[in-house]
Amino acid sequence: MRLEAADALDRVKGALGDRVTDASLNHGQVDLTVEPDRFVEVVTILRDDIALGCRFFTFLSAVDRSTYKFDGDEHREAGSAGSQNGKGGIEVLVHLYSPDMIWHVNLHVPLDFESPVCPSITGVFKGAEWHEREAAEMFGIHFTDHPNLTTLYLSEDFEGHPMLKSFKLPARSYVKAWPGAKDPDEAAAAGGR
Amino acid sequence: MIEITLTAWQMLVVKLLIILIIVPVGALVGGYVLHKEMAHMQHRLGPMYAGGWHGWAQTLADGIKFAYKEDIIPASADKRVFSLAPAVIFVPVLLLYLVIPIDRNLIVEDLDVGLFFLLAIGSVGSIGVLMAGWSSANKYALIGALRSAGQLIAYELPIVFSAAAIAMLAGTLSLVGIVEAQDWPFILWPPGLGLALFLLFLVGAMAEMALPPFDMPVAESELITGPFTEYTGMRFIFGFFFAETAHMIAFAAIGTTLFLGGYKPIVPWGPLDVIPGVLWFFVKTSFMVFLLLWIRFSFPRLREDQLQKFAWKVLIPLSLVLILVTGAWVLYGP
Amino acid sequence: MTIKDPELQNLQDSSAFATEVSEGRLVTEQMLLNVGPQHPATHGVFRLLATIDGERIVRAEPIVGYMHRGYEKLVEQRDYRQITNLISRMDWLSGINNELPLALALEELMEIEVPPRAQYLRVALAEMNRILNHLMFFQSFSAELGAITPTFYAFREREDIQYAMETVTGGRMHFGFFRPGGLKEDVPRGFTAMALAAVRKVIKRLPDYEDLLTGNEIFKQRTIDIGVLDKEVAYSYGVSGPIGRGSSIDMDVRRDEPYLVYDEFDFDVCRGTHGDCFDRFWVLLHEVIESAKIVEQALAGLPPGPIMGKVPRVVEAPKGEVYIRTENPLGELGLYLVSDGGKRPYRIKIRTPSFSNVSALPHVLENTLVADMIAILGSFFFVLGDVDR
Repeated sequence: MRLEAADALDRVKGALGDRVTDASLNHGQVDLTVEPDRFVEVVTILRDDIALGCRFFTFLSAVDRSTYKFDGDEHREAGSAGSQNGKGGIEVLVHLYSPDMIWHVNLHVPLDFESPVCPSITGVFKGAEWHEREAAEMFGIHFTDHPNLTTLYLSEDFEGHPMLKSFKLPARSYVKAWPGAKDPDEAAAAGGR
Repeated sequence: MIEITLTAWQMLVVKLLIILIIVPVGALVGGYVLHKEMAHMQHRLGPMYAGGWHGWAQTLADGIKFAYKEDIIPASADKRVFSLAPAVIFVPVLLLYLVIPIDRNLIVEDLDVGLFFLLAIGSVGSIGVLMAGWSSANKYALIGALRSAGQLIAYELPIVFSAAAIAMLAGTLSLVGIVEAQDWPFILWPPGLGLALFLLFLVGAMAEMALPPFDMPVAESELITGPFTEYTGMRFIFGFFFAETAHMIAFAAIGTTLFLGGYKPIVPWGPLDVIPGVLWFFVKTSFMVFLLLWIRFSFPRLREDQLQKFAWKVLIPLSLVLILVTGAWVLYGP
Repeated sequence: MTIKDPELQNLQDSSAFATEVSEGRLVTEQMLLNVGPQHPATHGVFRLLATIDGERIVRAEPIVGYMHRGYEKLVEQRDYRQITNLISRMDWLSGINNELPLALALEELMEIEVPPRAQYLRVALAEMNRILNHLMFFQSFSAELGAITPTFYAFREREDIQYAMETVTGGRMHFGFFRPGGLKEDVPRGFTAMALAAVRKVIKRLPDYEDLLTGNEIFKQRTIDIGVLDKEVAYSYGVSGPIGRGSSIDMDVRRDEPYLVYDEFDFDVCRGTHGDCFDRFWVLLHEVIESAKIVEQALAGLPPGPIMGKVPRVVEAPKGEVYIRTENPLGELGLYLVSDGGKRPYRIKIRTPSFSNVSALPHVLENTLVADMIAILGSFFFVLGDVDR
């Protein structure tokens, strides 16, 4: 039972009302902007409402908008906290899908750049656990109420958050010193690991 | 006719030499047959280069390579047990060849209780596997050893029972006597019973030797090599590869002796008597080896608990029933 | 378990274990088993930290990231056309399917129209790659269960298809052939016949494989009712592809939101009913048949014409964001492209199927046997490059 994008937008607006700060269509998919404190509520409604039925968790990630050229914008430096409409910080991006009615919804959750904190939706979608772990280590976002917010890809002693625009790729900008021993004798002297 | 008289000690040396030469050579040939048969069944060629003609020296080359390997014992392993385990596995396999009759008069040691000796010696290897797994200080080896111990104990019984049934039918425990008591058409007589006993023996033997579909203990994709994971070099070759191949050939020979008529011709047709018994024995053993290997490459492996269930709930009650039927046949049959 | 022998009961051994036993309690320990990162059964560097009690897994925690190459950061530094070869190496068994979402996303943003010949050829090549991928997992799953022979049969079939793809793209595993707007170049003469022959040979031999495995009693015992993944759980983890369809999820991007020209072809979507290993494997095998059908229809109806649309010399996507998803052989591969004008993407979020599928493993592996763990890992059809990106 296919739901056309325009109808989907109407239904979403009707069900969510003022819980979302912005709702529009983008290339045939519904785009919503939600504040962090209403994030979990909105996701729960999207999943549980029979008329919406977004039961399929596609992904959760983030975008560092600090150098994004918003309309009428000059070039901005990476990590600049100043933003337009509160949109130039770190943005959590969630994509949900309704398998029965075949429509997509993108949720944008703008966060404060200096200390990005976002509630976790692992209570709603179990699959968000790994996605949130990855977003946390890559962007430095802290997800509250997450059952196991440890690093997923990176080692525990990794410094920095790679996906931020202020993190330069080593090969193209600077070279970091090799952290461990440089030859087998050194390694053995250091206690053998 | 050359008259050779040898003292008892000299006879002993000759017999040991025969075993120590024949068994490794047999294992080498068996290994080559394994490679080639597996290859052709999988639509490829197998060893082709070692030795020139179709890679006949492949297993020999492998053996020489293993002799060059470094002998590694894990630091936290139990050294004495670790070193002894391959011997405990390999020596009983060697001893199995003592009592197998190749021809009417060609047997290393014609024991009156040959069959009993075979079954007893065959079960000593289980201890060796446990020793290998436990002393390796490796969790995977431990899991493999525990699985193996359970499996070997469970599948001893079908072998023992089917061999006992054959002993009942033949009226003797001596292997030469058993072969003599067999007549054409071998496993088809007694009707149904012979075939059932043969299949029981076959399944038990495959599990005894941890061949697929019963190779959970050495499940390659899970436990790498099970109890033998930490073994390298000559220890590995003797404890694992040699033992496995020699064991398989030994069991094929035992199966031939018990069920297929040993060194007797396939059909009791006059002109066939000119072919020596050794050749018949060789042909029948080769057929058994081929059968074992064929099954080995075709099936996925049973899970350990399914394996155990199969043994204790199906095979052992079945073997008990077959013993009863055999007893009835011996008493009341023709 | 109490010890009745009076001699043993009087045993005053100082070890705690002896005391425990003589008091009538048997103590067992839970063991921490590291499956991987180097292990024959785990398709690459994948580590599973399993807490096992005897032969039963109490808890299994996958530890990934051994192959993390930082794709999402790398693509931000590269031209759109340089990204094609990079993201082809994620799910390395479906090389050409990985290039598809990028090409489609750029075509959507830049509003390029792709000529029909390119569309048909894209479909044919993508489906041939799907057959390659599924045959590979067919052999790896059987090998893990102990049946070593199907490996060689599968590779024999793959050889012909890989050869056909090599004549077109020059590669056997990584192709680098799709461009925004069409293809790199046209197919050589004789490709259609060669591809059709290769695909038909696979279909002719497929019933043998089915008999060899799905009809085998041992195989059925090892896979039926093992590793059941519930449909709602699968939805909440985002499990898609053959694994999702094995749990009777009715999702196939090719049918639901047809991209390229999939709406012109006639094919079925295979679904399992129980969500166990057997169903996932069965879906895998039957998808090969459906893919072959699509290849035949695509190559039979191949229209003549150009293979590249009107693409400006400099590939610059206008400002905008779009999420494009395709049906990768392993599941739903999605690309969220954020562009702020320019030759490089601002941000690409690559939603890989294996990442979501593997995140459902802890749930499925709870309370299973160690030997079943291997069957379940094998039936989850993941590629480490996809999980780690």
